[in-house]
Amino acid sequence: MGVLDHVWLGVLAVFTAEPAFSIFGLPISITLVMVFSGFVGGIVVGATPGLGGPFAMAVSLPILISVFGFTPDALLPVLGFLVGIMKGSTIGGAVPAILFNTPGTPDSVLTTFDGYPMTRNGQSGKALRVAHFSSVTGDTFSDIVLITSAPFLAIMVERFLDFPEKAALIILSLAFISAVVGRSVWKGILGALLGLFFAYIGTGEDGYPRLSMGSEELGNGFPLVSAVVGVLILGEVFKSMEDMWREMRERSEITMIEEKGDNKLRLADIRRILPFVGLSAVIGTAIGALPGIGSVLAATLGYASGKKMYKGDKSFGEGVPEGVAATEAANSSVAGANLIPVLSLGIPGNVSAVFIILAAESIGGFNPGPTVFRVIPDQINPEMVIVFGLFTTMICANILNWTLGGIFMRATGVMVKVPKQRLLAVVLLLTPTAIYVQNTDMFAIYFTLFFGFIGYLMRKLDISVLPFVIAFILANRLEEAMRQAFSATGGNPWFLFDSPISIAFIAIAVIVVVFFARNKKALG
Amino acid sequence: MTLKTAKKVLVSAALGVAAVGLMAGSAAAEWKPKGPISLMIGFAAGGGTDTQARLIASELQKRKGWKVIPSNVAGRGGALMARKLKSLPNDGTAIGMAVTESFGYNMLASKNPGYTADDFTYITTTTGSQMGLVVKASKGWKTWDDFLKAARAGTVKFGGMSQKHADVNYLLEQKYGVKFNTVILRGGRAVMNALNAGDIDIGYGAGIQAKAVKSGDMINLVSGVGKRIPYSPNAPTLIELGIPYDIGAKFIVVGPKGMSADARNTLAAAFAEVISDKNSEVNKFVTARYTGPDLISGKALDDFIKNGLKESKTLMSVTN
Repeated sequence: MGVLDHVWLGVLAVFTAEPAFSIFGLPISITLVMVFSGFVGGIVVGATPGLGGPFAMAVSLPILISVFGFTPDALLPVLGFLVGIMKGSTIGGAVPAILFNTPGTPDSVLTTFDGYPMTRNGQSGKALRVAHFSSVTGDTFSDIVLITSAPFLAIMVERFLDFPEKAALIILSLAFISAVVGRSVWKGILGALLGLFFAYIGTGEDGYPRLSMGSEELGNGFPLVSAVVGVLILGEVFKSMEDMWREMRERSEITMIEEKGDNKLRLADIRRILPFVGLSAVIGTAIGALPGIGSVLAATLGYASGKKMYKGDKSFGEGVPEGVAATEAANSSVAGANLIPVLSLGIPGNVSAVFIILAAESIGGFNPGPTVFRVIPDQINPEMVIVFGLFTTMICANILNWTLGGIFMRATGVMVKVPKQRLLAVVLLLTPTAIYVQNTDMFAIYFTLFFGFIGYLMRKLDISVLPFVIAFILANRLEEAMRQAFSATGGNPWFLFDSPISIAFIAIAVIVVVFFARNKKALG
Repeated sequence: MTLKTAKKVLVSAALGVAAVGLMAGSAAAEWKPKGPISLMIGFAAGGGTDTQARLIASELQKRKGWKVIPSNVAGRGGALMARKLKSLPNDGTAIGMAVTESFGYNMLASKNPGYTADDFTYITTTTGSQMGLVVKASKGWKTWDDFLKAARAGTVKFGGMSQKHADVNYLLEQKYGVKFNTVILRGGRAVMNALNAGDIDIGYGAGIQAKAVKSGDMINLVSGVGKRIPYSPNAPTLIELGIPYDIGAKFIVVGPKGMSADARNTLAAAFAEVISDKNSEVNKFVTARYTGPDLISGKALDDFIKNGLKESKTLMSVTN
């Protein structure tokens, strides 16, 4: 079976899955329904200040898994839903940024710079349309890069990397993520080491449960879902609650500013913004492909380069559509490219990718990494079918985004009125419930609360949580790769320096850490 | 009594026994799990145990209406799962699937496995492995001797799935005066991936290699079970090579110790029903890849486990 057969099987898997209902005799598969619901849910969540894609993923994932079960058939509907949320929340984030000067997601802070002035000039409709067009274009571009490059990268990894190189690559990824995320490189590394520490409790190949101090509960290690959801979601909820309690500021009255004049997106507008969209899409995709750097930096860089390129009467920040376009194209084009390291190396680079891995690990039958693209002669590689199914759901979500996204987006302006203090309470209640639904074990909830507390402390101490979570996910693979490399080289303790490729990986890791440690200090 | 009548008597006796068995079965069928059954898989997703367990789970759900929730508790050749399982309720709502080695050699080889063979109720085996020492055809080694020549000329990387394989490798090294770099990988899928990627030169395959061998992409150089593998008739067995061990494992379903006979028998019967049904997916799977349905349960299974323990102790005393 060649690659093209797998592509076709993947497409079929999406469209011919168990039909949920039919329209005019045309059966609509459950996967498509899930992509659509995820997409709409994503827009709503993105448009709600204080909520974001990760919250929606964390709460919905355990529930979806318990509904769809643990068979490989469950993979595409669940992954499709996550893809929908990922894409929906990116465009949703721009809505309150433009209409109310309140970013819905952190990466749309820069959208307020030009989006809100446009609204004040009565151009809110046009600003939203520009944001939608730029966002979708950037996203589609990013997906095309993902679909065309991930398989080749994966095949290269499988062909050229041996055990020692694989261990070195994981070390390099962790070093890179620790160095680029957050304000301090050393705190990033501390976060990653903490993640490794917790992941190594009760796991490993030894004949006894290590570091468990004889406790039966710790002896099995911490469940992945508890660590991820606790640190990423509950930690954030605890921190936000404290912030709210300290600020207790009066909520300013939210008023809707009327549109006036021509608010349609004309061909002339598209021609004006297209160069900015193009530049930002390239920047966002390049940044997305590197693990650890998120859409906030992409938006910042996109906006800054757009500003340099722009020559007009009004300058950036006074309500020019190019400003909105440059930001939105950049932050949206991160999403697709972010899956490149996940699918080709098995290394998650950002929060959405972490949830994709979590879904795959929980359901089983799909291990994101280079082996999914392996062609087995005369046989179907079910994992490759899933990957192409995943790509198909991304394309479906893009089509939805092009056709219906704009309409949904403009309808979600009301979400800004949802009070944050109630939202947080709902999330705090839903998260442990969702975890219990999946694990039916009180210890999973205790562990989640424990990790929530750790996430809270890390935020208080300004230690980034992303290196922690990614290190937790990669910890066991790192240990395995190290053990295997050690025995494959005949017990050579210097196995990391055994081949030019692994020496290069380790050298780059050191250079990255030193470089960012110096430059971040220089930036203050 | 002529031979024919003897046969008739035997057949009717067998039928009678079967009928009694059936009645016992129907009485036992009144046992029902109190809630969803958690089926813990001792190996990683995508491997042979995982595939079987998931196929069986969905089939049991369909036929019996039981809610069966599979989850992977991979690590240490099934030991991680066993340790978790032993302290769970023994009412049939918690069962695990691993290989017989997890309750034999692997357990004995571990410093402190956290469980003993007496901690479990052995429900049933499902199928047996056709363990082979497998290489990629593109390596150019057609026989064990070709491989030995290459091993003498340089180092070879040898992928196994458990400490037992490392021990057998040690015996092979002693016998043939060669040196292997033995790497322990997590399950059959990982061995296949490493072989394909060229990370190892030869590996242990418990049947996962069947399709690749039949298509000529891979070659079984040696059979690890007591007899030659049907589709690789030229590969000698380990015993023929002078290593007197049958390292073929069986896949096994277990529960915590002290499970009621009702629960044990009903579960065994339910598994047997699904696996021996020629139309079921799992039947097709174990037939294509392994030795087909191989169902040992009850007292016979207890004896099988005891015997395996004895043999493993011998192997360990030889290598240490």
